[in-house]
Amino acid sequence: MEKEHLGELEELILLLVVMLKNDAYGFAIRKALKSQAGRMVTIGAVHGTVNRLEKKGFVESNMSDATEVRGGRRKRIFTVTASGKRALERSRELKLSLWMQIPEFSISNNS
Amino acid sequence: MDRNKRSTFSEKLLSLLCREEYLEEILGDLGEYREELSARPKWQRKVLYWFHVLNFLKPWSLKTIEGSQKLNQYGMFKNYFKTSLRSLRNNALFSTINVAGLAISMSVGVLMILLIEEVSSFDDFHSNRENIYRVTSTQIQGNQGVTVRQATGSYFMADLLSSQFSGVEDVLVMSNSPVKLDLGTEEKAVPINCHYAGESFFDIFSFQMIKGNQETALSQPGQVVLTATAAKKLFGDADPIGQLITAEMSSYLQNGQLAQSDLEKGIVSGVVEDPPVNSHLRFEALISLKTLELSIQQQGLSHKTNPGYVSNLLVYLLLSGDADPLIIEESMAAFLEGFNSERLDNPLVHNLQSMKDFVTSDTYHSTGPTFSRSKVLVMIGLTAIVLLSACFNYTNLSLARALRRTKEVGVRKVVGASRSQVFSQFIVEAVVLSLLALIVGVFLFVFIRPQFLALPDPSARGFEMFELSIDYWHIFYFVLFAIVIGVVAGVLPAAFHSKLKAGNAFKSEGMPKGFLGAQLRKILVVFQFTLSIGLIMCAVLINDQYQYTLDYDLGYETDDILTVDIHGEYANVLANEFGTLPEVSQVSKSSWVLGVGGDGLNAGMIFTEGMSNRALSLINYIDQNYIGMHQIEIVAGTHFEAPLSLGSSPSSIIVNEAMLRELELGNPEEALGKRLIYNGMNVSIQGVFKEAVSIGLTKKFIESMAFIQTNRESDYKVLNLKVRSEDIVSTLTKLEEIHARQDAVNPFTAAYYEDKISESYKYERSNYSVISFLAAIAISISTMGLLGMAVFTTETRMKEIGIRKVLGASAKNLAILLSKGFFPLMIIAAILAIPTTLWIVENEVLNTFWERAPVNLFELLSGFLAVLIIGLLTIGWQVRQAARTNPIDSLRSE
Repeated sequence: MEKEHLGELEELILLLVVMLKNDAYGFAIRKALKSQAGRMVTIGAVHGTVNRLEKKGFVESNMSDATEVRGGRRKRIFTVTASGKRALERSRELKLSLWMQIPEFSISNNS
Repeated sequence: MDRNKRSTFSEKLLSLLCREEYLEEILGDLGEYREELSARPKWQRKVLYWFHVLNFLKPWSLKTIEGSQKLNQYGMFKNYFKTSLRSLRNNALFSTINVAGLAISMSVGVLMILLIEEVSSFDDFHSNRENIYRVTSTQIQGNQGVTVRQATGSYFMADLLSSQFSGVEDVLVMSNSPVKLDLGTEEKAVPINCHYAGESFFDIFSFQMIKGNQETALSQPGQVVLTATAAKKLFGDADPIGQLITAEMSSYLQNGQLAQSDLEKGIVSGVVEDPPVNSHLRFEALISLKTLELSIQQQGLSHKTNPGYVSNLLVYLLLSGDADPLIIEESMAAFLEGFNSERLDNPLVHNLQSMKDFVTSDTYHSTGPTFSRSKVLVMIGLTAIVLLSACFNYTNLSLARALRRTKEVGVRKVVGASRSQVFSQFIVEAVVLSLLALIVGVFLFVFIRPQFLALPDPSARGFEMFELSIDYWHIFYFVLFAIVIGVVAGVLPAAFHSKLKAGNAFKSEGMPKGFLGAQLRKILVVFQFTLSIGLIMCAVLINDQYQYTLDYDLGYETDDILTVDIHGEYANVLANEFGTLPEVSQVSKSSWVLGVGGDGLNAGMIFTEGMSNRALSLINYIDQNYIGMHQIEIVAGTHFEAPLSLGSSPSSIIVNEAMLRELELGNPEEALGKRLIYNGMNVSIQGVFKEAVSIGLTKKFIESMAFIQTNRESDYKVLNLKVRSEDIVSTLTKLEEIHARQDAVNPFTAAYYEDKISESYKYERSNYSVISFLAAIAISISTMGLLGMAVFTTETRMKEIGIRKVLGASAKNLAILLSKGFFPLMIIAAILAIPTTLWIVENEVLNTFWERAPVNLFELLSGFLAVLIIGLLTIGWQVRQAARTNPIDSLRSE
């Protein structure tokens, strides 16, 4: 098990990075966060989180080409790394195994 | 798009603060965000955008400060900050003394900042605040030639202003004094303060209408706009619009006032928000001015055309932005030329007063709460003195302890610190301390705030004026304030240390003898003592006068007399009913409470026959029982003994000796039977009574007083009951029940004479509380300073004390040795403080009293004695410490 732990918002954003593929940059992540999870956060918070993820080695980033839309400014596109993927899987497995151990809860929920 | 190209302030800010590697994406994302926001209203756009900008200023994004070229002072200040904290911690006792003293005085400072802020933001909810003016009138009134400035204007001028002047956008006429009406529906009536207001009320002021049309709400006779509270009182939750309403005069002076318009068929045309606490205008209901005008018309009065009719109407103007109030004032003077030519010696002058000055105006009589500028200045002055005193504590203690830090300063200087750097180090230290004190001070403020708000203030006229709540942006002011205080406190020690020569710092003697420090310290200590002595003396003198006033022999009997206010024409019935109670031995009726005044207070001009002499006199309408009940001493003639027969008008008057003097009627015996004319009535002097306190010891602008017997019920405003009761609570309950049967609208208000009298001096009482509070602060600050100095002297002279003890000095000798430095200072302070304070108290504080309590020696010395005793205790405590230590402990090392 790796030292780095995955926080709730971190996990959410990491999943969104995977989902958004080539368009995973700060503002787009914030938009997706709003539309997918209904979460309103500031752009600053998104940037803080992705930078933290990068420091933990779960994502890596490179600058895109400049576009007219952003007044000639480049975007920083994030891609998930292998260890990031692993972290996501681990987190999913952990939750699944926890769910499995409480059958009565899952049954009553499903019925 | 255009906006994005030039770099905005937010972009500059971010590029200044954020790390290079993140900057591009941050700005890019913010640009996209701005696009997203473009659909929203402008203010939302701004707020949201800035919220996001500021959210980028987080530890991960900020440039690191160390090593950065622009901020190379940072490291130094960081070091200063550290040394400050260390030196504060090392000298815990001195830091505590300083922080405590500063915190106490800062709590007052915080109060002051909030107070000034609230005074200056009075009426700021009016969107036209900059352009609203009111007409004021200045003229000489009364035969004593007093120039009176009133915040009122005339119909005459208002009409001219609205038609003849350019630059005047709107004119509003309102009644000045609130009329207390019993507004009611068929079910119930409630006493409510009303103003008559013209149509343009809502155009000029920004009071928000909740219901109803503000254009037409005050345009027809009989229309009434209620405040939300008044509407709730009258109609509960039902919709008040269109409801019929009636009004009856309750307590309102008839003489010369606009008192004729009973509102028979009013209709509620609107509901307005309650006026906020920072409004100069307070009302519970507005009645359309047309209602009043209608009745003026019906009675054929000349109010509308007489330029001299200026005492009852507020005239507000809304000027256009470029209008010059001075030019308008000049034109008003031109319009009055004809009128003034007939009254040459006493011209009427109109001026314009800006809305910003409404609440702080000193001399204008106006409606609603005021807080005069001079009062603000006095409070600022007192606060500044207390703050200075606390600053001096710091200055003093740091100078005294300067010796201990010369080595540190020496090292800094040798290493290459410049003079300004040492200077800023000590300033930083003082500022750090004062910021600490600020935090404690704000907490203390929370405790003194309710006390301050509860102080009675006559100029607030019973309204709440202040909230003194702390907003987040006040913190900016507070911090600024603390920094200023820190600089003031730290400037002398800083100057002293920075002057130090590196070489001298390490010499065993430290610095040359007769240094500025010692002398300066003495001056500062004398200042503190003077302040404490003065304030204590003030408090003692004021309290003494207050007690003296309460115990003053009024010249009549007041024991066991209960006064009951009445608000309608039911005095006779109520008096009879009260009289049937076994506890009530006597009942009498009057128009006001002797020695106190009250709603029914009357004053009028009394003439001798032939109009040769006249006197302004207080008039109390009474019944036949009044004088006997109060045992007012009659020096000549008789008092009213028989009831006046029904329907007959008053024919006799009882006057005081002052009136005889003023009317030149000779001695009391001669004056009997002489005829006087009052208010068109021809009355003869039936008796003369001995001088008695008429309306309190602070008010003696009218010395003459007269009693007139009346049987008109509307003249009676007070019932006086002689009550002997074992169980006053049940008696009061019985009285209240009887009262409720006669008056369903107004609450039952009864008070004993003594309570009424002490109530009438509550302003003096509040002065006393403020001064004693300040005295307590001043004395605790200077005591702490004294304690600090005593501790320091004892500490530095520990060896000397040890040697003296070994050689056989007694505790007494030591006490004299350690304290003799302080006594000359206290005596100098007393010499300075006692005469100054006495002068200030006699001429500025208690000058309103015409009968002064005699000042005795104890009161003169009170402040000095208090400071002396506290000083002795403080020093004594230190001496005890010193005398108890074993001399071995202090002498062993070395």
